[in-house]
Amino acid sequence: MIKPRYKPLIPYVVAAGALIFVAIFAPFLTPYDPYLQDLEGALTPPNSQNLLGTDRYGRDVLSRVIMGSQVTICAALALLAVITLTGSLIGSICGLKGGRVDTILMRTSDVFLAFPQMVFAIAAAGALGGGLFNAALALALIGWTKYARISRALTLTIRKMPYMDAAKMAGTNSLGVLIHHVLPNIAGPVLVTAALDLGTIIMELAGLSFLGLGAMPPTPEWGAMMNNGRSMLQTASWVVLAPGAAIFITVAIFNLLGDKLRDVLDR
Amino acid sequence: MTKKILAALLAAGLLLTGCGGEKTSSDDKSTFTYGTVAYGVAMENAGTNPHESYSGWSAIRYGIGETLFKFNENMQLETWIAESFEQVDDFTLKIKIKDNVTFSNGKKVDGDAVKKCLEHLIAVHDRAPKDLKITSITADGQFVTIKSAEKVPALLNYLSDPYGCIIDVDAGITDGIAIGTGPYKAVKVTDTQIDLVKNENYWDAVKPKLEKITVKSITDGDTLTMAMQNGELDAVQGLPYSSLQLFNDANKFKLSQAETSRVYQAAFNFKTPVLQDLNVRRAISMAIDKENFTQVLLSGNGTPAVGPFPANLNFGDTKVTAAPYDIDAAKNLLAEAGWTDTNGDGYVDKDGKNLELNYLTYTSRQELPLLAESAQASLKKIGVKLNINATDNYKTFLKNGDYDIFSKAIVTAPTGDAEYYFTSHIVSGAVDNAGFYDSAEITALENELHNTFGADKRSDIAIKMSQQVLDDCALFYAAHLKMSLVMKANVTGFNAHPSDYYEITSAVEKK
Repeated sequence: MIKPRYKPLIPYVVAAGALIFVAIFAPFLTPYDPYLQDLEGALTPPNSQNLLGTDRYGRDVLSRVIMGSQVTICAALALLAVITLTGSLIGSICGLKGGRVDTILMRTSDVFLAFPQMVFAIAAAGALGGGLFNAALALALIGWTKYARISRALTLTIRKMPYMDAAKMAGTNSLGVLIHHVLPNIAGPVLVTAALDLGTIIMELAGLSFLGLGAMPPTPEWGAMMNNGRSMLQTASWVVLAPGAAIFITVAIFNLLGDKLRDVLDR
Repeated sequence: MTKKILAALLAAGLLLTGCGGEKTSSDDKSTFTYGTVAYGVAMENAGTNPHESYSGWSAIRYGIGETLFKFNENMQLETWIAESFEQVDDFTLKIKIKDNVTFSNGKKVDGDAVKKCLEHLIAVHDRAPKDLKITSITADGQFVTIKSAEKVPALLNYLSDPYGCIIDVDAGITDGIAIGTGPYKAVKVTDTQIDLVKNENYWDAVKPKLEKITVKSITDGDTLTMAMQNGELDAVQGLPYSSLQLFNDANKFKLSQAETSRVYQAAFNFKTPVLQDLNVRRAISMAIDKENFTQVLLSGNGTPAVGPFPANLNFGDTKVTAAPYDIDAAKNLLAEAGWTDTNGDGYVDKDGKNLELNYLTYTSRQELPLLAESAQASLKKIGVKLNINATDNYKTFLKNGDYDIFSKAIVTAPTGDAEYYFTSHIVSGAVDNAGFYDSAEITALENELHNTFGADKRSDIAIKMSQQVLDDCALFYAAHLKMSLVMKANVTGFNAHPSDYYEITSAVEKK
């Protein structure tokens, strides 16, 4: 039985779950091969065969949007997992150890925080040479700092808790304290931050792809699809609007989920 | 969250306001506003000083300056500032300057002015000295005599390159403004805009008709499209192909197109072991669907290419042959080379390895990523897997040799002569020979070309060289670009030229 206070979350969890389901099983859900070119059927407006029309290579836009969900959402989730884990680990180590380790790691994170996130990511992705992996790496390079800051602050507040002293008196080593006592206790707020961040990361990944620094052709990534169709906004708007709407809906769902999650957990 | 939704709605609103509104520029028939993607720092042609990088292109394009000779529609030489010439011997060229030519400041153009200009050019320019190989220039009245260190059969062509734009060196260059002999003179030059006014002293019979011309650099295709749609511009160059259909209304717009020698090519890297097999290179060349690439993806704004030069040149596409588009024959060639799909994954393999190639290109030319994706889909049909790396950071990959195929866009005959393309891209060790193609036949033919005078003889050698490249399948050529100028229906005398550098002339007029 679901606790009443979690009830407001249900519609958002269902919607987000549906998106993730589509993303994972995308290859089985597409009506056509998203990579199959048919130049003779290029730029066909939406019709009963191609519900969202075809792009300039004659590929089915609906199939590409569905396939794109896998690329965009899975890449964003993987990236989020990486930065959340590394960020929290670094932050909690700093919080626990203090001293020189803390100073070095936190000043390093200050250096990264000194740059606007997107500007840094564009520069890094440009230097790394494009590609979805490099774009994600560029975002990861700067993304961990936020989680390090949050988990450090949280660790500092729980460091003085009686159960921490108890754990130390019972002879638990530093690693044990970190894994069994610190991380589980800071997980809630970190997860809420992560849920709120997912939408932003999807936007940033799509943004880098839009600028030509992310997914490489013919990968059906939403940002890249929008960029490829940009010049056709007036002549074949469906090519741009379909992936644009996909980004809009996905980001809105994950942001709303994050908002509700925070409301519920902060109560 | 509500804030985010509000922001999204406002942004959408802004976008819609951007599209709407029928704002027309002044209907003043004496002013002309021209939007182009081809001017600016990124194109290395900002400013109007022809002795600096590619800025000569801007001086010629926007009617500020003129060269001694110019090219006609077939890229054959005609006189311009020069009246006649005489090839005294293999190393000496004597040119007579027209008697009535003046700079826009009123000063007469004589042999001495041309001598000073050319001497300054070879003293400061990066490419000109290597092309011209001039040892001495002497002036006598309206005559200039140029002596070269070695035979330069294409000297007249090189002198017609935009860097050969004749300017008044004594007047100097202030704020990027050079004093030329063209129908218009620059009054304000920035990295994004050139303001021109009529040259009251223009020498030619056809006098300029417009009082004021503004050349605006607009590098974003969508902005350019919208500026033309809402009437801010009188003419435009470099519209995205997908936008051209928005200007079909003959009552409002006109289109002028010319086939240029800009070619979309891809070089096979001979350092890649699988590509050392001629059959593999030929199979890949045969699998490129050039017809659909030009018709569908370039919306007809190009012609399928056979070799490096377009058909309007004497040594162009009608004189050479390449393997035709034939998927089945390509598959057979791969099978002959030992590549077949043994494991049924859709890709051919040999010794347990799939035929997988890295295709490097860049995105600043809108056609290249299109070619890459269409090549990728075509090659999949013959079981070759292409991994595309389309990045504007491509020079790093080139330097590291990190590619199997490198695709680029290049103007193969900017001066109507073929030698430049072969010496820069084809002969062994050439700076832009990205595929490390090395052919003894090409080297011998290039030596012959280098020492042969006369356009017809040179064309014959150029044809042999192009054919050799095609027989060796060292590169494949996808398409020649057709350049398009779109203008309001009341604009006349504004025509696209195959050279890509004659745009504004004294004939341009608003009716």
